[in-house]
Amino acid sequence: MEESVDISVEFAGLKLANPVFTASGTCGYADELSDFMDVNSLGGFTTKSITLKPRKGNATPRIVETDSGMLNAIGWANIGLDAFVEEKLPIIEKLSCAVFVNIAGETIDEYVAVAERLAGERGIAGLELNISCPNVELGGISFGTDPSQVAEVTSAVKKVAGDKVLMVKLAPAVTDVSVIAQVAVDAGADALSLINTFTAMVIDIETRKPILANRTGGLSGPAIKPIAVYLVNKVYNEVTKSLGIPILGMGGIRTVSDAIEFIIAGASAVAVGTANFIEPGCSVKIIDGIKKYCARNNISDIKELIGSLETGQDASH
Amino acid sequence: MSEEGSTVKRGEYSAAVYANKQIGQRFYRLGLDFSGAGAEAFSKIQAGQFVQLDLSSAALPAAENIPEDLKDAAERKVLLRRPFSFANVTTRDDKTSVEILYCVVGPASLRMTTLSAGDSVSVIGPLGNGFSVPEGKKTAILVSGGMGAGPLQHLAKILTADFPDIDVIAFAGAKTKDGLPFKRQLDKIAQQLEFSLPEFAMYGVKSLVATDDGSAGFAGLVTDCLLEWLGKSDLAGESMVIYSCGPEVMLARMAEIAKERNIDCQVSMERRMACGIGICQSCAIECKTDSPGESVYKTCCTDGPVFDSKEIVFSS
Repeated sequence: MEESVDISVEFAGLKLANPVFTASGTCGYADELSDFMDVNSLGGFTTKSITLKPRKGNATPRIVETDSGMLNAIGWANIGLDAFVEEKLPIIEKLSCAVFVNIAGETIDEYVAVAERLAGERGIAGLELNISCPNVELGGISFGTDPSQVAEVTSAVKKVAGDKVLMVKLAPAVTDVSVIAQVAVDAGADALSLINTFTAMVIDIETRKPILANRTGGLSGPAIKPIAVYLVNKVYNEVTKSLGIPILGMGGIRTVSDAIEFIIAGASAVAVGTANFIEPGCSVKIIDGIKKYCARNNISDIKELIGSLETGQDASH
Repeated sequence: MSEEGSTVKRGEYSAAVYANKQIGQRFYRLGLDFSGAGAEAFSKIQAGQFVQLDLSSAALPAAENIPEDLKDAAERKVLLRRPFSFANVTTRDDKTSVEILYCVVGPASLRMTTLSAGDSVSVIGPLGNGFSVPEGKKTAILVSGGMGAGPLQHLAKILTADFPDIDVIAFAGAKTKDGLPFKRQLDKIAQQLEFSLPEFAMYGVKSLVATDDGSAGFAGLVTDCLLEWLGKSDLAGESMVIYSCGPEVMLARMAEIAKERNIDCQVSMERRMACGIGICQSCAIECKTDSPGESVYKTCCTDGPVFDSKEIVFSS
């Protein structure tokens, strides 16, 4: 019965084998998870954030566990654009899943420079614009919380992105994510990914200092899932549904049920992040589980499930 | 020690608990069995390599058995795996049995105490690099602080088995005698080099014990105990190799001592880890480069946890 279930999805013109991605920062640059799973079996893959120059990242401690979650303040530690192109692109080109390169910068020019360099590279399906990372002093979330900055960086990158799918990653802690989402779409975004992490803090009561060297970090994991599901549904209803723009939904996905919640809420695809640290092969289990769920519920095509949240009102469909 | 350990494929394996023995107020030795592919993978694990245990679904002890200072910790949920090195590895037929020395300090280690024979535990490994033996060494000195003793016990076994021409001695230090994670009651332990610690004596390795407060063995830091022993020995620095594991302030001191005496020294470093497999970049270790004043970050989980002590920029 599972064989007749079609879980392929169309995502901004890309045909994905299934709706499961791994999230940026949790799966390396290419095939680092391959000791634990077949990366090619994913629908999509998002790389670690790439910046123009290599970055060392923040001082340690960079992480701390919380109940059902963790804070991270890695600080965009990455090998930089040149090393990424030289060392990682050749591996990426051989992957059969859709690869999105997450791009980041401290200035709009830096985002543009990275995007421009990657726009012509085959093997890359899209760019994920990281304007929502809370762990760097400049760039990241400082671009993603102000609508005019969102518009500026998105349209600047769009101009140089060529035929790459431009996916903008949204920060959750704004007054209205839908406002930011609309601005990004108007500025040329082909897809949206949400949510990024929440700025949070853990204090050591013996030293009376924050645990993280950066003081604050981004909260991820199961604790944020209900908020993520809500925000995905909000943006779907208020912005993307009528425009046909796909959402990559993420935030605390660990199980098949979690993934299905996001799809019902309006995500065309989902990304597994923090869970990769605990069970590196869990995204493959989720792919299999989605097939089983569809078979069990007589869903022959997963597209029926996307945004199928029953409103409970007399809605005109 | 062969280079094999670095080419063994890492994986996620299910281990069966065969023992979980309390050896001190807060110290336990957990025994795990691997069979099948796991037995194969861990039969080749090097001393100093580590694994990531999933303890998220292990049960808490009964409330009356939770120490007062860990009551709040018991309320914490465990999400991430925890890293441990092995204190012993034994292979027999198609089974590999390992022991983990652990101390009850927080929500995960508290849950570890309730694991009992027959329970299964998810283990990711082998991870990281292990201790290595440079050419031409005649004496290996193992220096542990507190819980650092675990991987050095495994190392003692490997050295005595595979390098019979190398003399091995161990130094074990802690703040007080209750902080020494060994099976034997250590009241009134002698200061001199003896077979006083069974976990080393079983391999024919003599040991010296040091406690900051003098409640057992040498009164003072284990590094001072080592200095006293080195002062009495006429061994050439180049003929020795030091392996050390313990609090970072101790490792920093070991690096100084090794540098002063021109002794090769390998340290096992620790950092908070999320993935443990080289992806998340959480476990950054600051390392020197060829350019003075410039440093790079390496990962404790993949570039380490064992490093040449000369390389590390120790956190103050």
